[in-house]
Amino acid sequence: MLEGLIATLIANGWVAVLLAYAAGSMGSILCLRTASLGRLLSTGFGVAGGLLQVWVSLATILEGNTVSWAVPSGVPFLDIGLRLDPLSAIFTLALGAVAIAVSVYSFGYTSALTAGRSAILGFFFNLELLSLSLVFTASNAFFFLIAWEVMALSAYCLVSFEHHREATRDAGILFFVMSHVGTGFLIAGFLVLHSMTGSFEFANFHVTPAPLQYGALFSLFLLGFGVKAGIVPLHIWLPAAHPVAPSNVSALMSGIVVKTGIYGLLRVYFDFLGKPPQWAALVILAVGVSSGLLGVLYALIEKDLKRLLAYSTIENVGIILMGMGASLFFSSISKPGLAALALAGALAHIVNHAMFKTLLFLGAGSVLHGTGTRDMERMGGLLRRMPATAILFLIGAVAISGFPPLNGFVSEWFTYQALLAGFGSTPSLTKLVFPVAGALLALTGALAATAFVKAFGISFLALPRSSESEHAHESHWTMLVGMAIPALSCVALGVGATWLLPALDSVTAQLLGVRSSASFVTSHGLVLNSGALHGGTVSIPMIAILLILLSLTAILIGSAGFRRANRRTGPAWDCGLPGLTAENEYTATAFSKPLRMIFAALYQPKREIQQQFDISPYYPKSVLFESEVEQTFESRLYKPLKDKVLERANRLRAIQAGSIHAYLAYIFLTLVALLLFGARP
Amino acid sequence: MSKMLLASIFQLILLLCISPLISGIIKTLKARLQMRRGPGIFQPYRDLNKLLRKQMVIPETASWIFAAAPIMVFATSVLVGLLVPMITAEAPLSLFGGVLAVVYLLGLGRFFLALGGLDAGSSFGGLGSSREMTISALAEPAMMLAIFTVALSASSTNLSEVVRGAIGQSWRFLVPSQMLAFAALFIVLIAETGRIPVDNPATHLELTMIHEAMILEYSGPYLALIEWGAAVKQLILMTLLINIFYPFGLSLEWNAASLAIGCGSYLLKLVILSVLIVLVETTNAKMRLFRVPELLAVAFVLGALALISTFLF
Amino acid sequence: MYFYQDTQFGERMITLMAALVLVLQIAMVGQRWLVTNIRVFAAQSFLLACIANTIAYYNHAPHIYIAAALTFLVKVVFVPILMERLVAKIDIRQEIEPLINIPISILIAGGLTLVGYVVAESFYHPKEGISPATLGHNTLAVAISLFLIGFFMMINRRKALTQVLALLSLENGLFLAAISLTYGMPLIVELGVFFDLLVATMVLGILVYRIRETFDSMDVSQLRRLRG
Repeated sequence: MLEGLIATLIANGWVAVLLAYAAGSMGSILCLRTASLGRLLSTGFGVAGGLLQVWVSLATILEGNTVSWAVPSGVPFLDIGLRLDPLSAIFTLALGAVAIAVSVYSFGYTSALTAGRSAILGFFFNLELLSLSLVFTASNAFFFLIAWEVMALSAYCLVSFEHHREATRDAGILFFVMSHVGTGFLIAGFLVLHSMTGSFEFANFHVTPAPLQYGALFSLFLLGFGVKAGIVPLHIWLPAAHPVAPSNVSALMSGIVVKTGIYGLLRVYFDFLGKPPQWAALVILAVGVSSGLLGVLYALIEKDLKRLLAYSTIENVGIILMGMGASLFFSSISKPGLAALALAGALAHIVNHAMFKTLLFLGAGSVLHGTGTRDMERMGGLLRRMPATAILFLIGAVAISGFPPLNGFVSEWFTYQALLAGFGSTPSLTKLVFPVAGALLALTGALAATAFVKAFGISFLALPRSSESEHAHESHWTMLVGMAIPALSCVALGVGATWLLPALDSVTAQLLGVRSSASFVTSHGLVLNSGALHGGTVSIPMIAILLILLSLTAILIGSAGFRRANRRTGPAWDCGLPGLTAENEYTATAFSKPLRMIFAALYQPKREIQQQFDISPYYPKSVLFESEVEQTFESRLYKPLKDKVLERANRLRAIQAGSIHAYLAYIFLTLVALLLFGARP
Repeated sequence: MSKMLLASIFQLILLLCISPLISGIIKTLKARLQMRRGPGIFQPYRDLNKLLRKQMVIPETASWIFAAAPIMVFATSVLVGLLVPMITAEAPLSLFGGVLAVVYLLGLGRFFLALGGLDAGSSFGGLGSSREMTISALAEPAMMLAIFTVALSASSTNLSEVVRGAIGQSWRFLVPSQMLAFAALFIVLIAETGRIPVDNPATHLELTMIHEAMILEYSGPYLALIEWGAAVKQLILMTLLINIFYPFGLSLEWNAASLAIGCGSYLLKLVILSVLIVLVETTNAKMRLFRVPELLAVAFVLGALALISTFLF
Repeated sequence: MYFYQDTQFGERMITLMAALVLVLQIAMVGQRWLVTNIRVFAAQSFLLACIANTIAYYNHAPHIYIAAALTFLVKVVFVPILMERLVAKIDIRQEIEPLINIPISILIAGGLTLVGYVVAESFYHPKEGISPATLGHNTLAVAISLFLIGFFMMINRRKALTQVLALLSLENGLFLAAISLTYGMPLIVELGVFFDLLVATMVLGILVYRIRETFDSMDVSQLRRLRG
C-alpha cells in the first residue's frame, strides 16, 4: 500500500520534473523581449525541476525500487518508455544537484546578455536538462537514441552559443562530428542486441553473449559511449568544446553530459551483458589508467583555465573507469563483494566529480566574468579582488586533488582499496596489474594536485598580470550562491561519506546482487572500512575534526607572532631589482616547465627565443619567447584520418552529378534493393 | 576511548619533542663526517625557540593563503604522526586512517605550502613550488608501490595491521621484496625530505634551491611552524621506514617495561637510519634537477621489482 | 644444528643475493659512467660467485666451487681490471650515451623483468618444503631477466666497450640459470664458456682499441660501411 503510494509519487514527481524543464525551456524562448522575466523563468523552473529531481532520485535510491512507464505512441518500436531504477537515479541525482546550482548561477551570469540571446541560452539549457533526464531514464533503444540525439544537438547549440568566434564554430563542428560518430557505433551496438533478442526494450536486453558476440558488443559500445565520456584517444573534442561554451554550460557538460557515456557503459556492461570475460575488465582498467594519466598530463601544461579543467575531466573519467574496470574484473571471477567495493568507488566518484567540476567551471566562469580572460598568464591577484570566488574555487581545487577531508578523497580511497584487493583476488600473474594501476593512480592524483596548485596559485595569488585582472570585480551574488551549492556538497559528501554511502546499496544490489554498505561503515558510522577483514579503515569526520583542532594548536603555538605588534609587512624579495612587479612572478608556463621537460617525449615541446640587444649582450632590450606543445593525438592520429576521409570523399564526388534525374534514380534503385531485401524468404 | 586519548597525547608529545632532535642529530653527524664541529644536536630547539619569538615580516603582496600554509603544514604533519605506529604496534589513531590517509594528508600540507610559496609573488617562491610539486608527484608512484608491497603481504592498508603482520614473520629482513621496497622507500624519503642528492637543505644558493626557495619569504613563528612541521614529516617518513620493515622492539601492550623497550629500540633505529642518511648525503653530490627523474625512476622500478618479487620468491 | 646449516636460511640468502644481482643489473642500465659500470659488473659477478658457493655448500657439489672460483677470478678480478686499463689507455669520454634516455631505459628494464617472471612462471612448480635439491630453483626468473636486460643493453648502447659489458652481464644470466637449474653444467662445458668469454673480451678489447685508432670514437653506429 505504502510502497504503491511512493511509486506513484515518484512517477508523478518524475513527470513533474520533465514538465518543469520543458516549461523552463518554453518560458525562456517565449520571453524573447523581456530578458529579466525570461531569465527568471529559466532559473525558476530549472531550480524547481532540479529540487524535485533530487528528491525523486533520492526516494528511488533509498527505496531501491524501479518505476516504469510506457506511453504507446502508435509509431512502431517508438514507445515512449521511461524507467527510473537505482542506477539511473544516481545519475539523475547528480543531474538535479547540478541543475539547481547552474540554474541559480545562470541568473547572474546571463545578466549581461541581450534579451534575445539570454532567451536562446535559457531555451537550450533547459532543453539539455530535459534531454539528459530522458537519456538517463529511457527504457528502450529507440527512445534512448532520440533523447541522445536531442541532448547532442542542444549541447551543440550551447557549445556554439558564442558563434561569432571562429574557434567556437570549429569546436562546435568537431563536437558535432565526434558525437555522431559515437552515435553511429551506438546504433550498430543496439542493432546487434536487437538481432540477438528481437526487441528494442532495455528490459529484454539481458543476454549472455558468446565470446565473439561479447567482443563485438563490448567494442561497439566502448567506442560509442567512450566518445561521450571522453576517454583517450576519443577525447579530442572535449578540451575543444568545453572551454568555448558559456561557463554555466561547461559546468553542465563536464559535470553531467560526460557522465552519460559512463551511464551507458555501466548500463550495458553491468546490466545488459552477463558475466564479463577478464580481458574486457582489463581493457576498461587500461583505458581508465591511460585516460587518467594522459588527461592530467595535458591538463598540467594548459594555461587556459577552462581547458585545464576540461582535461582534468578526462582524468576523472579515467579514475571512474579504473573503479569500473576493477569491478568488472571481480564480477568476472565471481567476487561480488569486491565488485561492490570497486563499483562503490566508481559511483561515488561520478557524483563527486559532478560536484567539484561544476564548482570549478562555475568558478572559472566567475573569473572570466570578472576579468574577461581565460588565459592564466593574464590573471593573478584575484584573491583580493574576488575573495568569495577564490575561497569557493579553492574548495573545488582541494576536493578534485583528492585531499581529505573533502569528497574526492572518499572515492579515490575506495578505488585504491579495490585495486589493492585485486592483488589477492586471483593467483595468476594478472594480479600484478592492480598494484601497478594503483601506483599510476597515485601518480595521476599527485599530478592533479600539481595542476590545481597551478590553477589556483597562478590565477588567484600574488600580483595581477594584466589590467583586466587589476580591475577585476566580484561576481553577482546569485553566481556565488550557485557556486556555494556544489562547494557545500563537496564538504558534505566528504565529511558525511559514512552516512551517505548506504545510499549506494540499492545500485550495487541492482547490478551485482549484493548490499555491502554495512561492511563499509563501522564504529557508529564514523569509520569507513574497505569491507575486508583487516582491510583499510579511514574516518573522514575524525580527520576533519582533528585537522581543525591541530590547526588551532598551531595557531596557539605561533600566537606570539600573530599579535599585531609583532608583525610587519614589507616588500617580498625582488631579486635585487627595483620593486617587485608582475613580471617577476612565476607564470603558468614556467610552473609546468619541469614536467614539460621530464615528459618531453609526450609533449614534444618546441620553443623559440628571439632577443634584441642594445648595448650589452647581458641585458636584452626585448625577449620574445614562444613555446608550443604538440597535441599528439590531434596531429598523429586524427589529422591523417581526416585527410584520408576527405580524400575518399573527393572521389565520391563522381556520383554527385548534380542532376535531379540521377538523384531520383539513386532513390529508386535503393527502394528496389530494399524491397528485394525485404521480400527475401 | 580514554586509552586512545592518552596514547594520542603521549605520541603527540613524543612527535613534537623528538623531531627537532633527529634533525639536529643528522646535522651534527653530517658536520662531523665533513670534519666540521657542527652546531650540536640541540640547535634545532634553539632555532625554533628563537623563531617563535621573532618578529615576522609578511610580504605586502601576500594574502591569507600565506598565513594558512604554515598552519596547514603543521596540522597535517602532526595528524599524520598520530596515524603511524611509533613505539607501540598500535598507532593511537590507526583506526582513523591508514597509509592512504598518510600519503594524502601529507599531500594536503604540501598543496598549501606550494600555494604559500606562490603567494608572495617573487620568482623564487614560484620556482620552489613548481619544483617541489614536480618532484613529489614523481616520487608518489614509487612510494605507493613500495608501501603496497608491504600492505599486500599484510593485506591491509592499516599501518598497525601491517606492522603486526611484520612482527610475526621470521627471516623477514632477508626477504628480497622487503629489501627492495625498503630501498625504494629510502629514495623516496631522500626526495620527500629534500636531502642531497635531490635537494640541499643547507643551501640558499639561488638556482639550486627547491624547498628553501618555496619558504624563502617566511619568517618568525610562521617559519617556525613550517620548520617544525617539516621535522615532524621527516620523523614520520623515517618511522614508516624503520617500523614497517624492521619492527623489532615495538611494544605490543601498554606497560612500562615494554614501552621502555619500545622507546629505546625506536631511538636506536632512528639513529641508525640517520647515519645511513648522513652517509648518503655526504658521499653524493646534488643532482641536476632533470637528473632527479632518473633517480625516481630507479625508485619506481625498485618498487615494481619488490612487488614482482613477492610473487615468485 | 647451527642456523647456517638450515636449508631455509640458504634459500633466503640465495633469493636475497639473486635479487641484489637483479638490482645491480638495473643499476647498470641506469648508470652513466663507464668506470662505475665496470665496477657494478664486478660486484654483480661477485654476488654470482657467492650464490654459486652457497649452492655448492648446500648441495655438496664440489665442482660448483670450481665454477665459483673461476667466476671470481675471471669476472670479478681479471675482466674488470683489463677493461679499466683499456678505458684509461684509450682515453675516451667517460659518459655512456645510450640510445634511449635513462628513465625510459630503466622502465623498460623493469618491464623486461616482468617478462622474465612470466616466462619463469611456466617452469615454476613449488613443492612442499625446501630440500637442498630444489635450492635456487626460484632464481630462474632472475636469470631470464638478467639475460633479457643484458640483451637490451647491447641494443641500447653505442660504444663497443659498453656492449662488451652488456654481453658479459648477459652471460651472467646464463651462468645463474645454469647453476640454479642443473647445479652447474659439466665442468668441461663451463671451462669452455669461460675460455670463450676470456678470448672474446680480449679480442673485443683489441678491436675496440683499433676502432678507436681508426675512427677516433668507439661509437659503433659509425661502423656502417664495410671496408676492405
